[in-house]
Amino acid sequence: MTMLSYLLLSGITTGALYALVALGLVVVNKATGVINFAQGELFMVAGFIAWSIHVQFGFDFALALAGAVLVGFVLGCAIDRIAFRPLLRADVVAIVLATVGISFMLKGIGRIIWGGKGDYLSFPPITSTDPIMLGEIVLVPQQIAVLAGAIAIMLAFGAFFRFTRIGKMMQATADNAKAATLVGIRIERIYTLAFGTGAAVAAAAAVLAAPLTLLYPDMGFSFFIKGFAAAVVGGLTSLPGAVVGGLAIGIVEALAGGYIHSSMMEVSAFIAIMLVLLIRPTGLLSFYKARRV
Amino acid sequence: MPLSFLRRRNVMLALVLVAALLPLGANPYHLFVANLIFIYILLSVGLNLLLGYAGQLAFANAAMFGIGAYGTGLLQVHFGWPFLIAFPAGALIATAVGLTLALPALRLSGLYLALSTLAFAQFTQWVFLHWEGVTFGAGGFKTPQVSFAPLPVDHRHGLYYLSLVIMVAMVWFAGNIVTSRIGRAFITVRDSEVAAESLGVDLLRYKALAFGLSAFYAGIAGGLYSQMLNFVSPEGYDLFQMVLQKAMVVVGGLGSIAGSVLGAGTIVLVLEGLREFKGAQEVVFGAMLLVFIIFMRGGIVSVIRRHVPGWEEPLHRAGALPPAEPPTSLPLAPPAQERGVS
Repeated sequence: MTMLSYLLLSGITTGALYALVALGLVVVNKATGVINFAQGELFMVAGFIAWSIHVQFGFDFALALAGAVLVGFVLGCAIDRIAFRPLLRADVVAIVLATVGISFMLKGIGRIIWGGKGDYLSFPPITSTDPIMLGEIVLVPQQIAVLAGAIAIMLAFGAFFRFTRIGKMMQATADNAKAATLVGIRIERIYTLAFGTGAAVAAAAAVLAAPLTLLYPDMGFSFFIKGFAAAVVGGLTSLPGAVVGGLAIGIVEALAGGYIHSSMMEVSAFIAIMLVLLIRPTGLLSFYKARRV
Repeated sequence: MPLSFLRRRNVMLALVLVAALLPLGANPYHLFVANLIFIYILLSVGLNLLLGYAGQLAFANAAMFGIGAYGTGLLQVHFGWPFLIAFPAGALIATAVGLTLALPALRLSGLYLALSTLAFAQFTQWVFLHWEGVTFGAGGFKTPQVSFAPLPVDHRHGLYYLSLVIMVAMVWFAGNIVTSRIGRAFITVRDSEVAAESLGVDLLRYKALAFGLSAFYAGIAGGLYSQMLNFVSPEGYDLFQMVLQKAMVVVGGLGSIAGSVLGAGTIVLVLEGLREFKGAQEVVFGAMLLVFIIFMRGGIVSVIRRHVPGWEEPLHRAGALPPAEPPTSLPLAPPAQERGVS
C-alpha cells in the first residue's frame, strides 16, 4: 500500500509535468498543424534560465519562474519566425527538419553555457523535503507543490482559451484558418502566439520539474518524447486529452518502473507511442474519425 | 560553355578515381576520413531514397545503422562467424527491421510517422543499452579485425578498398533505381499517395521497398563502420547521428543521389574540422540543417544544377527513350507490372 501510493503520487506528479509539455505541443499542433520538435529543448533552456536566476544570481523563486516563462515565450515566438513562417508554403518535411535543426542548436547552446558546470545541476526544493505520512500513504511535499503548480497552470491555460479575446481568436484559427482570416484575424500572428504560448507552458513545466529531476542538457528530448506520447494518447488536438494522456503516461511509467524494472521507466513511453499509433492513430480518447492525411 | 565538361558523370568518375588513388599519398588519418566519407555516403544515399525520393519522414535511419553494426559485430563475437558472413547477415537483419517499420508507415504519414519512427529509434537505443547479456550495455564491445589474408593488403587498406567498391556499386545501383520505374513510383508516392494509387502504384509494395532499401544501405554502412572502428557502442547511433544524416541529405539536396554524395562529404569534413570543438558540433549541424532548409532547400545540388549545364538528374535513363516512338500498346491499358499482377 505504501509502495503503491508512493508510486501513484510520483506517477501523477511527473504525469502532470508531461501533460504540460503535451499541452504546449497540442496548442502548436492545433493552430498550425505541425509539431514543434524543439519543444523539449525549450523546456531544457527554460529550466537552466530559472536555475541561473534562482541559484546562480540568488533571486526569488517567483522571479525565476517569471523569467523562465518570459524567455520561453520569446524563444517560442522566435522559432515561429525563423523556422515556421518562412516555410508556411513548404511541405511538412521541411518544417519538421527545420525545428529539428533548432532543437539541436538549442541543445548545443545549453551544453556550452550550462553543461560545463557539472553533469547535473541541482535545483533547491521549494518546500521541505520530509515526507508526510497519512496512515499508510506517503505524501512528499515537493511533489504536492509541483502537482498544485501544474494544476494551476492547466486551469490558467484553460481560462486563457475560454475567456480571453486572444484565446478565442486562437481557437477560431485552429477551427478554420480560412474563416478566421475572413473575419479579420491575422492568422500569422496567431501562429506566432501559439508557438509562444506552447513554449511558455513548457517553460513553466520546466521550472516546476527542476527541483524533482535535476537539470542536464539532454533532458529536453526525454520530456519531449514523453509529452508527445501523452499528446498522442489524447489524440494530438485535444487539450483535456493531453492532460489525461500525460497522467496516464506518468502513472504507467511509475508503475512499470516500480514493479517490473527501473529501466522500464524510460521505455514505456516509446512503447506507448508505437502501440497507440499502430492501433488507434486518432488517439485513445477520440471517438470521431478526424485524421490528418 | 566553359563548364560543360563538368557533367555529373565526369565529376563522379573523377571523384572515384581520386578515391582509388588516395592511399598512394595519404596518411592513416586521411584514409580514415575518406573511409568515413564512404560509409556516410552509403547512409545518406539510403536515407535519401526514403526521405528525398519516397517522401517518408522517418527518423529511424540511425537505428538501422546501429542494428547493422550491432548485428555484424555480435554475430562475430557470440557465434564466431567470420566478418564476410556476419557483415551481409547484419545488413539483412537491418533490412528485415526496416521492412517491419514499413507497416506503420502504411497507416501513418507525415508527423505521425516521424514520431513513431523516432520512438522506435529510441527504443532501439534502449535495447542496445539495457539488453546487457547480448549487447554488452553502455560500454560497448570490441569486434575482431577481419584479415584480408590472401590479398597483399593490411586491414586498413583492405577495408578502405572494400568500402570503396561497395560504396561505388551501391551508389551506382541507387542511381539506377531512381531512374527506373521504381524511382518514379517513389516520387509519385511522395508527391501524392492518392495520385500514386490511381496510377496503379501499389503503396504497400513501394513503401516497403523504400524502407527496406534504405535500411539495407544503413545496415551495410553499419557493418563497415563496426569493422572500421573495431568497436561498437550505443552512443554512435543516437540522436546526434540521426541529425548528422538528416543534415547530409538536406545539405546535399533532397531527391538527388549525387547530392547525397556531396552532402556526406561536406558533413564529414565539417565534422572532422570541428573535432577540437566538440561543444560546437550540435549547434553547427543544427544550424546547417536550418539554414539549408530555409535558404537553399534544394541543397548544394540546386546551385550546381543552376550553373553547370549537363548536371540534370533526369528520372529516366538518358537515351533509353527513343524520342517520338508511338506507343505500341493501347494507351488505356497500363503495363501488367503496374497493375500489381506480377
